[in-house]
Amino acid sequence: MGFQDVMKDIEGYQDIQRDIEILKKYGIDYSSQRGSVEHSINLFHPKKIRLGVSEIQQETGTTRTLRLVPKDGYLPPFQAGQYINVFVDVAGIRTSRPYSISSSPGQTAYYDITVRRVSDGFVSEYLLDEIRVGDELESSGPAGTFNYNPLFHGDDLVFLAGGSGITPFMSMIREVTDRNLNRRIHLIYGCDSPDDVIFAEELARRAENHPNFSWDLVISTPPQGYQGLTGFITAGLMKQVLGDLAGRMFYLCGPEAMYAFCDKELSGLGIPKRKIRIEMYGSPRDVTRQPGWPSGVKAEAVFNVAVKGKKIIEARACEPLMISLERAGLAIPALCRSGECSLCRTRLLTGKVYQPAGVKLRKSDRRFGYIHACMAYPLEDLEIMI
Amino acid sequence: MPDYDVVVIGAGNGGLTSALTLAKAGRKVLLLERHNVPGGCATSFVRGRFEFEVALHQLSGMGSPENPGPLRAILGEMGVLDKLEFVEMENLYRVVVPGQFDITLKCERNLITRELQDRFPKEKEGIVKFFDLVYDCSMQMIQGLFFHDPEISKEKYPLYFKYALKNTQDILDGFFDDPLLKAVLSIYWSYLGVPPSSLPFGEFAIMLFAYIEFKPYHLKGGSQALSNALLDEYLRGGGEVRFNCAAKRIIVADSRVKGVITEDGDTISTDYVVSNASTLLTYIELIGREHIPAGQMEQFKSSTIGPAAFTVYAGLDCEPGEVGIQETTNFISTTTDMDGAFGKWKTLEQQGVSLLTCYDVSDPDFSPPGTCQAAIVALQYAEPWYSVPPQQYYDTKYRYADGLLNLAERVFPGFRGHIEEVEASTPLTHLRYLGHPGGAIYGFDQYAKDSTLFLSPRSAIKGLYFAGAWVGSGGFQPTLTSGRTSGRAILKSMRKQQ
Repeated sequence: MGFQDVMKDIEGYQDIQRDIEILKKYGIDYSSQRGSVEHSINLFHPKKIRLGVSEIQQETGTTRTLRLVPKDGYLPPFQAGQYINVFVDVAGIRTSRPYSISSSPGQTAYYDITVRRVSDGFVSEYLLDEIRVGDELESSGPAGTFNYNPLFHGDDLVFLAGGSGITPFMSMIREVTDRNLNRRIHLIYGCDSPDDVIFAEELARRAENHPNFSWDLVISTPPQGYQGLTGFITAGLMKQVLGDLAGRMFYLCGPEAMYAFCDKELSGLGIPKRKIRIEMYGSPRDVTRQPGWPSGVKAEAVFNVAVKGKKIIEARACEPLMISLERAGLAIPALCRSGECSLCRTRLLTGKVYQPAGVKLRKSDRRFGYIHACMAYPLEDLEIMI
Repeated sequence: MPDYDVVVIGAGNGGLTSALTLAKAGRKVLLLERHNVPGGCATSFVRGRFEFEVALHQLSGMGSPENPGPLRAILGEMGVLDKLEFVEMENLYRVVVPGQFDITLKCERNLITRELQDRFPKEKEGIVKFFDLVYDCSMQMIQGLFFHDPEISKEKYPLYFKYALKNTQDILDGFFDDPLLKAVLSIYWSYLGVPPSSLPFGEFAIMLFAYIEFKPYHLKGGSQALSNALLDEYLRGGGEVRFNCAAKRIIVADSRVKGVITEDGDTISTDYVVSNASTLLTYIELIGREHIPAGQMEQFKSSTIGPAAFTVYAGLDCEPGEVGIQETTNFISTTTDMDGAFGKWKTLEQQGVSLLTCYDVSDPDFSPPGTCQAAIVALQYAEPWYSVPPQQYYDTKYRYADGLLNLAERVFPGFRGHIEEVEASTPLTHLRYLGHPGGAIYGFDQYAKDSTLFLSPRSAIKGLYFAGAWVGSGGFQPTLTSGRTSGRAILKSMRKQQ
């Protein structure tokens, strides 16, 4: 007697076998479910979204809002504060940049992204100068963790924005005021000059109409005779405009320099870590000035990077590896481009890279030699596997 | 010559051990993974200063180096033991019925018996007899089944043949009156995804036996460390891997595997494929209707898609003790009606049984100094989530997570006030990352009829093998084991061909 036959002696075996025979007649026909898993995923996290530019709004001298409508009739939902990564082909190079969605999540017909011209901004220049109404763009699905989380954020929020860092906040402010949500928001918005203030008129209007939203503008290089708050967003200024700080959740989004500054000011005010949310800001402007950058490596140094099974490419020390790969036509999956999301997780086989503080590597990834290529800078010749 | 000896689709636990078994035997193997990181469920993600463990709660079957369990032997064979640091948990589990009852079971049969007898004096005798049966039945299962006794028979292993397919609830009812005691003893049912009234006693007994005898374990760096170690060993052995690269098609001709087409459009020839994807999608998406073997879809008809999970991952800015967390494994039960609790898995109502795991109790280095993390899990089917309109998804998810956090707060006062990071995952999150129908974490529902006693994991397509929960039980030990089994089966088949 074979093993399977002996097993039939287990008490209850025959009953179960009978059940199976019945179920085979009346059970579920799964062949009709072809494509259903992919469909469920695409409702929230499609790999790519095809978008058309339906309107372009001039916001300031250096900033425009692109209104993006779906080419395929559907946009996945997002949480106010999240971003999409926009893919472009510029000068023969396929690259991408994440942009916060500035429209409200309640608006399901389009995503707005608000783009400010950055000096040497490869992609921002392209989006501002080349893209016209009617053009098509491709993006990732919405992503990111810089959003209101009702599980622990409370209902008393302080937004600290710098320059174009206003964009995720704009989405949150629009959502809270449009839907009359039970949350109080105070925005402290730092800009270089009054000309740089994005959404000024709308912010003023919303503050006027909604008692739960208020804001202060702080100008760092004010013109002669400017009336209003000036300088940086210091601890003193926050205390002055906010009053009692207890129980409030602080959100920070702005240029690189603002983070280190405001972070220090907030801890000076005794705000615990759990009450501070920080948006990532992409790769640093000058990585060689980051703490821990080895003094022996010059920004303009160029190294050879052997990409296993592909080719050997050149990579500049001052540029994230991801960009060098893109230049060489080896685009790897990209999403946050800030070291956070780990989509570009890449195995470093030999050589050393520099990764700034704040790159969110898993412990065991670090141990087994993985890097986040979007925030990894070569310090010598490397061998990697993509 | 085909491009590869074997293509393994999916780098979950089963895919990894399968690929590694084959690479170690000198075969040319290509591993395809749609995601950017290996592990499937066995993974982690980072928020703020926390790295959250996704799936591993209590690793079974490890045993100590002196008293090794079957999993330790397998991981030793895989060559990853010295790359990993395992942490033995002191206690089996705690069960709390908020405001009513609280018990912690040690990891030793005698201590468990004594503790239960103290708490349930009227059930003294039944407790002894119950554990006798659990142990005796398990021993017969090990000797007869696991050691492949060629003379296995119902006369030789009477307890196994009598009780293996009985439902666990009937056994409990036979020994005990107190519903609370029955709930405490059977609480591991949620690890198997089937309530005691449908859970084959043989499977329940061996699970309880193994956890007590081999102790529950965790590992430093979490389950991602295991996945990374397996992949590292695989690459060292000459294996190749492609991340962010899903399989789009398995090429089949004359009921025989011929190759794989990737989502990038690459055609790879091979005679063997191990699919660590769900069996269901392997057939209906990758192989295609015209090549599905006769009878295969009928076989699927008798199975139902199993549960996924809803998990809240919380990072706290305090040590576990500060909010009263003393145990790693805390089952929180608001009911003793386990069928009722199971029924709620198909709804968006607050669950009857949840699990709060705090790894930092066993491993103080798990989270950064002065912090800890807790994963609060409630198993749940995907069905109720399919009918939530996408625009209401996030609100619904937060509302559901809020309920679980309130439950945690009831047992651990002050918990919510210490939250520094929190993330929640729904069955749809599992569906997204695993690519499984229903986001099922244990594959098909594991009723008695779905066990390998009745269903063969073999495919009628030559060269096609499976690894993972869809062809056996779910969980770490079973899926890691299944990959090695399919890897060995392929090696055997290759030897025959030569």
